[in-house]
Amino acid sequence: MNSKIKRIYVPMTESGFYILFCLQQPQHGYGISQQVKQMTGGELIISAGTMYGTLSKMEKDGLIAFDREEEKRKLYRITALGEEILNLEIKRIERLYKNSKGVKINE
Amino acid sequence: MNNKKTVIRFFTIADYEEEEVWLHNQHKNGWKLMKMIPPCFFVFEKCTPEDVTYRLDYKNNTETSNYFQIFKDYGWEYIGQCIGWLYFRKSSSEIDSEQEGEIFSDNESRVDMINHVVKTRLLPITIIFLCCVLPNFLRSITDSDPIATVFTIIFSFLTILYIYLVIYCGLKLRKLKNKYSNN
Repeated sequence: MNSKIKRIYVPMTESGFYILFCLQQPQHGYGISQQVKQMTGGELIISAGTMYGTLSKMEKDGLIAFDREEEKRKLYRITALGEEILNLEIKRIERLYKNSKGVKINE
Repeated sequence: MNNKKTVIRFFTIADYEEEEVWLHNQHKNGWKLMKMIPPCFFVFEKCTPEDVTYRLDYKNNTETSNYFQIFKDYGWEYIGQCIGWLYFRKSSSEIDSEQEGEIFSDNESRVDMINHVVKTRLLPITIIFLCCVLPNFLRSITDSDPIATVFTIIFSFLTILYIYLVIYCGLKLRKLKNKYSNN
């Protein structure tokens, strides 16, 4: 994998993580924000500019790709590279979680 | 009865937060922003005084139809654009949480916007100053021609204006960036 992409996205912002996570299913910007709001019990609200900026950047870097258009809304979907990055992040967060709970991983 | 007013007010590239507050206050006093005419004219129309949040985004003509669709979905009314800046508003009655009244929800995206302003605005005006205004100013002082005096006056004015703008905007944008980076 491109080490530059890895350096930019691992670790990624909380908004970035949720956006990439939601895009395992095709979704549009506002749809993602509603889904994230629900998943986090209203704790994380991703604003319009942040949503658009993150989607544009991820599309440019090849983490997500245009899927289709529905009622003038652009739907995106995660790419193979995006999945690779997402899995790295999930592993990192799992390790973080386990360590924070005091569980040794490599026993 | 005058239902319209045009106000002249100059905001630099580093004053967008003050501009948002100013537009909010205008609306609170019953003046709704209708359009902007570059470089510093604001056209307002009389309206019922209301609590409306104004937000400015800097895209420098890179915005797409998808950009406008996302803002529309989030409930932002697009007013128009002026020299790379896009103006949005949302009634405070539609804002339930702090983030819903913001167009950026994390500091990374606020800093990204500032970097975009620095790269496509501050840097070009600095280059114009160093390559155009300053050399002409220096040449006009060394020249003893009477016409050169006129140029000296024009270019000294421009030099002062550019130095002021570059320093003011540079320092203020850096301050804004620090505010959002250390948060």
